[in-house]
Amino acid sequence: MNRMLTLNIFRYNPLDPDSTPRMQTFTVQEYDSMTLFIALTQIRDEKDPTLKVDFCCRAGICGSCAMVINGRPGLACHTQTKDLPAEITLHPLPFFQLLGDLSVDTGSWFRKTGLQIEAWCHSDDKAFDPTAEEMRMDNDLANEIFELDRCIECGCCMAACGTARMRTDFLGAVSIMRVARFYLDPRDKRSEDDYYEVIGNDQGVFGCMGLLACEDVCPKGIPLQDQLGIMRRMMAMHSVKGVLPRPLIETIKKKGCCHAHAQS
Amino acid sequence: MNASTITLHVPQRSKIAGRMDFFQMASGVLLILFLWAHMLLVSSVILSPSLMNGIAWFFEATYMAQIGGPAIFVLMVVHFILAARKMPFKQDEWKTFRVHARMLQHKDTTMWLVQVISAILILVLGAVHMFVVLTDLPITAAKSAARIQSGWLYLYLVLLPMAELHVGVGFYRIGVKYGFVGRSKRKWFQKTENVMMIGFITIGLLTLVRFMLLNIQG
Ligand code: HEM
Ligand code: SF4
Ligand code: SF4
Ligand code: FES
Repeated sequence: MNRMLTLNIFRYNPLDPDSTPRMQTFTVQEYDSMTLFIALTQIRDEKDPTLKVDFCCRAGICGSCAMVINGRPGLACHTQTKDLPAEITLHPLPFFQLLGDLSVDTGSWFRKTGLQIEAWCHSDDKAFDPTAEEMRMDNDLANEIFELDRCIECGCCMAACGTARMRTDFLGAVSIMRVARFYLDPRDKRSEDDYYEVIGNDQGVFGCMGLLACEDVCPKGIPLQDQLGIMRRMMAMHSVKGVLPRPLIETIKKKGCCHAHAQS
Repeated sequence: MNASTITLHVPQRSKIAGRMDFFQMASGVLLILFLWAHMLLVSSVILSPSLMNGIAWFFEATYMAQIGGPAIFVLMVVHFILAARKMPFKQDEWKTFRVHARMLQHKDTTMWLVQVISAILILVLGAVHMFVVLTDLPITAAKSAARIQSGWLYLYLVLLPMAELHVGVGFYRIGVKYGFVGRSKRKWFQKTENVMMIGFITIGLLTLVRFMLLNIQG
């Protein structure tokens, strides 16, 4: 069943004063196992070389081809046209700065936010000794950390988050998941107090309204719901120490999903 | 972190954000428990009006209605103030969220809007309801029936589904937000919650029908 696909694509160049936001329609002949990436490349090769779209790996690894596909953020290279209706509407990801057409700048935001949540191992500032043996880590724990490290920073979760759309300083599920990754890492010496300082506020865990759109759109299936829940519960319980009786805090802490291999 | 903490050169050690979030959740849980208990107690009229009268008498003899009633009202207001921090009162926030929800066509996102709207309705209608009931103690099945038959039915026909929707969605959201319900249980939890919501609305409607049919003279 090879259909004629109609692609309605958002066009706008914010740097050109004469450009106004509009939708432009292209038609593409579908073929077997065609992805949206192929369709867009074909349009750029054969119909309009000025169409701005980002691609790099075309294998769901680099995270650059995220866009809004019929209302849902997703990766163009990861989306087969056979899974879509014959009419496809494409918009750039909201939330991020628009570079033009379907291309947005996710990198600046991820860099800024990474600095804000201090997304690196805090090892008590010990000088790095290149001759020392590497620190050993339990294999299960390494796997649990790796599960979270699979994030490709595509930005789909941020674009799908209603909270982030309303409150642009919201750090989002991806940042909270990132902090959870360092919390799991035994090389990171930060205490609960230190983590509370970066995400224990309404820009962090307490800003999330549990809409779970992030969870539902993440193309890599990162366990965002679980990480948001674990971190929020931990931070909230940390904040009521001294207000609630300790046994109650301990019980609530252990209810629900937890980090299976966390050491502390 | 914000500009003021940077200029002060001292780490912010305030726990207030976490505490507000926790008490928003805790007040929600208490209100959910209240609403379920309330529904079961009032629905005793389906079985027999004298059973409901007996329960009402017990709650007044023990002063639970006189003290618990206003306490629930205070709890409701506290919960509203804490939860309203998230509400899109600014016009641009409201518009952004509406446009976003329409684009995404995502159930949990849309249900949040339902929660915002039902919250306002419960605040007003619930306050009216509590005032009317608590200023006319003791509660008896006959008085309730007279009220409902004289036009208050319409208030309850709005308050009942709004309260149940709000509480149902709120229950689900507390579960997922606090990680009590993980990814593997989400679908199941959603289904359970829907069944409970329909069950409670059905009981509530049956109760109203019973009140409509109750012979006030008798
Ligand atoms: C402690 C304060 C409250 C008392 C003593 C109370 C008592 C009652 C009584 C006696 C009725 C039967 C109808 C009537 O007599 O008018 C009723 C119905 C109802 N109440 Fe309350 N109520 C209280 C608070 C609330 C709150 C806070 C809500 C909402 C969250 C609420 C929601 C409802 C609903 C939806 C109905 C209709 C119930 C049904 O159809 O079975 N009530 N309440
Ligand atoms: S968490 Fe998922 S959706 Fe978000 S940036 Fe990472 S891979 Fe993309
Ligand atoms: S669960 Fe939280 S982070 Fe994810 S979309 Fe909802 S509000 Fe945003
Ligand atoms: S092109 Fe790299 S993720 Fe799509």
